[in-house]
Amino acid sequence: MTRALSRIYQKFTHVRGRRLFIIPTRFGFVYAGFLILILLGAINYSNSMGHVLSFLLGSLGLVAMLHTYRNLAKIEFIQAYADPVFCGQSVNFNLVFANSVSQHCYQIEVASKQNKSPSWNPFKRISGYKVHQVIPKLNSEQNTHIIVALAGKQRGKQPLGHIRIASQFPLGLYNVWSYFNNDYTAIIYPKPSGQLTLPVSSEHGQKFHHHQQKGLDDFSGFNNYRTGDPIHTIAWKAVARDKVLRTKQFTSLQGGQLMLLWQDVAQLKDTEARLSQLCLWVIQAESAGMSYGLTLPNSTINYGHGEQHRHRCLTALALYD
Amino acid sequence: MLGLSLGASPHFSYQPLWVMLIFMTMIGWRCMNLWRNWPLPSKQHRSLTWLQLGIAAIATLLLVRSYGNFIGRDAGVALLTVMLGLKVIEIRSHRDYYLSCFLGYFLVVTNFFYSQTIPTASLMFVVVIIMTTCLISLNSPIQSLDSRSRLKLANQMLLQAIPLMLVLFVFFPRIEGPLWGLPQDAYGAKTGIDDSMTLGNISQLILSDEIAFRVKFDGDIPNQSVLYWRGPVLWETDGTTWTELTRKKQNSATPNISNTHSSYQYSTMLEPHNNHWLFALDFPTTLPITLKTHLTQDGQLRADAPVRQRVQYQLNSHTQFQFNVGSDVHLADALQLPADKHQRTKQLAQQWRNHTQQPSELVQLALDHFSQQNFFYTLSPPQLAGDSIDGFLFESRRGFCEHYAASFTVLMRAAGVPARIVTGYLGGEINPVDGVMLIRQRDAHAWTEIWIEGDGWLRVDPTAAVSKERIEHGINTIMPFSMRSPMFISHSRQLFDIWQQLSNNWDALNTGWDQWILAYGPKLQKEFLSKLGMPAPNWQSMVILLTLSITTLLLIISLFLFYQYKRHDPIVQLYQRFCNKLARLGIVREPSEGPLDFAIRACKQLPTYQHQIMLISHQYTQLRYSLEPSVSLVEYRREIRQFNPKQE
Repeated sequence: MTRALSRIYQKFTHVRGRRLFIIPTRFGFVYAGFLILILLGAINYSNSMGHVLSFLLGSLGLVAMLHTYRNLAKIEFIQAYADPVFCGQSVNFNLVFANSVSQHCYQIEVASKQNKSPSWNPFKRISGYKVHQVIPKLNSEQNTHIIVALAGKQRGKQPLGHIRIASQFPLGLYNVWSYFNNDYTAIIYPKPSGQLTLPVSSEHGQKFHHHQQKGLDDFSGFNNYRTGDPIHTIAWKAVARDKVLRTKQFTSLQGGQLMLLWQDVAQLKDTEARLSQLCLWVIQAESAGMSYGLTLPNSTINYGHGEQHRHRCLTALALYD
Repeated sequence: MLGLSLGASPHFSYQPLWVMLIFMTMIGWRCMNLWRNWPLPSKQHRSLTWLQLGIAAIATLLLVRSYGNFIGRDAGVALLTVMLGLKVIEIRSHRDYYLSCFLGYFLVVTNFFYSQTIPTASLMFVVVIIMTTCLISLNSPIQSLDSRSRLKLANQMLLQAIPLMLVLFVFFPRIEGPLWGLPQDAYGAKTGIDDSMTLGNISQLILSDEIAFRVKFDGDIPNQSVLYWRGPVLWETDGTTWTELTRKKQNSATPNISNTHSSYQYSTMLEPHNNHWLFALDFPTTLPITLKTHLTQDGQLRADAPVRQRVQYQLNSHTQFQFNVGSDVHLADALQLPADKHQRTKQLAQQWRNHTQQPSELVQLALDHFSQQNFFYTLSPPQLAGDSIDGFLFESRRGFCEHYAASFTVLMRAAGVPARIVTGYLGGEINPVDGVMLIRQRDAHAWTEIWIEGDGWLRVDPTAAVSKERIEHGINTIMPFSMRSPMFISHSRQLFDIWQQLSNNWDALNTGWDQWILAYGPKLQKEFLSKLGMPAPNWQSMVILLTLSITTLLLIISLFLFYQYKRHDPIVQLYQRFCNKLARLGIVREPSEGPLDFAIRACKQLPTYQHQIMLISHQYTQLRYSLEPSVSLVEYRREIRQFNPKQE
């Protein structure tokens, strides 16, 4: 008995720490007004069926409250992520919501608000949300993702902000809403721009590095297979020989090596312009297939190449201050 | 919209034709807009806007002409109906839609001012379901929720609301109405006995199947032939119409009644007739406790306030009694006749009077005259032109009880015997289902009383002289089946019996409905709650009980809503956990994506974990879809537990 009860309790407190707020909408108040009118009429005329109708509608209102609440109660905000973008582009946050129960949920309105210092005025806290999208249906026991587009105006970290989900389903008499506080952010790279050309022969860049870059071009030997190695590098013939998984190693000589230096852009007038220029260079160096590094006044990124490396460099630029 | 039309449909019978005409035109217009894309009044269609305004203006004028004002029940309902019709064609925004839905609910309640029968109540439920479905569709786009699921949801919500409604109905503290003055026409004209009688009045009533009142006897049930339910007593006449004595005269004295044995106890449930009198078995010897009443000098039981709701009262009657044996103050009134009317009748009476002075012999002469001179009792008497009494007695000789009562009274008065007409009902039918006696409008009857020195007022029913059947077996034996049942049934005796059986059950159901549901007011509520075990029901304790029970019910409903007993397949649950783990890394399974497709996509995004992802997905499909899975649930569970992908 106690176990059953505690299980029920757990079910109820499944939405841990999250609060749902519910108040009647404008139409809810009008509905209540109509109800009172009907009830007064019924009392005045001593009309029994009038009583029945007003009680029925009143009960319907109460039941609608439960239904509206339930429509939102079991929705969880699982995660949000956004690919980094350049300043000026819009940040597309991918929000994942999960409906963990066996009922579908309908008409979920998703809104967000940028974090600002909380006001002393409680009304200010609930206002200022921008509605992004209405999810028509959250299927039962499934995840649904939606895209929330925010304008990426400033380089650096763009927080998703407070998320509010709200619903008036089914009768539109109540509005139930709930907040999700989160610290999901998206990286906004500086805007790539500038007139300076990519420095081809800087003093650091001319140093030849004997450090072998793993590449795809020239075969240089075998390595033992480690989890995570791409399948196409496995030496299948070697497997047939002695049943040990090996990967083929390649080296590729880059189209040059380049260290992008803060000093190179010192001639530009402000930090943003310098960062934009460096950003442009990083992209150019990446697409030129170079091995490149980045030296900023407070940090240095060693030579490297590839998507991950580019991201590291651009992030360093984005977060520079 | 269908809901609105249905909600309005009962009004068709109460409202003038043009109200319905406008309403239906507007609904039709809107339908054509939906189906055929007909234009509606809007900025682009100015002329239509003018047309709409024109209709509104005409409707307003017609309303003022028919009702004089907007205040009052009929006018208010007509106004609501017309305006709702006009509103329907200009629904544009959400707000308009909501408003029309709410008005639709309101329209339902206006129905109940006219009729509160079981069919009307069922119609209410249908309308409420439709309106609720409308509200749901307002709040959900069609692609996510089809009409059938909307209807299902509306039904589900209503079903959950019903227990709450019942609790509210029983425990909500009732307040005695009215709260404010009621409009003049709050209680419309009702069929039934009137306080005046013109020949032809009562025979119209026999076409009505409506129930006048119900009686439940405690103990013996008297014979049909003594079931005289006494109503208004008529004294004064202008030759065509008979009316009561003035109030002052009625209340000038109390009747002097002496009775002998055989008393009957019964309770009566009287349908509202908007008049003061109460019907009682001739002659009541006690006054009801539950109502404020008085007995008039001529033996009418009158309530102090007009009967506007169904009332229930207990009475005790003696069917054998003596009424004002010694003297009667208004004997002179019982001899009044208009001087210039009924000349032939007066002559006939004069002849009899020359023959004998004995009242009892005069009565016998008159009754013999009816029974021997080719008089007929008919339910559809011919219209009488000129002096109706003379016309009936000497020409048509075909009449209903009122004709016999009136002409007999005239004869007696002309012969010098004090006489008066008593109206009311005669007979009644016991419903074998619940043992309640139903007295319908068609049982309406009129009879006479004459005053004889030493005997007081004696009941003489001249109808008995022509139709003993009517008195002894009730009106039903005289009425052909065709007048009591629909056309197609009356041909066959068997069908008629079945129909009779069904209608008995239906009547019993209605009796219960009227007695328990419709009559449920402050008084019945107190009575009912005391029976339930509340020591002294007052509104405070009712509110407490109401709150408690509503809270409990809501709790039960929310338990039902939130706690789903549906046990999910553990395989699916585990797989969901796996999906959630991936979703945290931004790999979300689309609703349309199969587990294997999803796994391939996930592998591309998380090459580090492709081995595990493929393994788990294969295990899942094996366990879920294969008849003989090659893996065990334990392995599968362990694999998922150990799967902890991290962003590279």
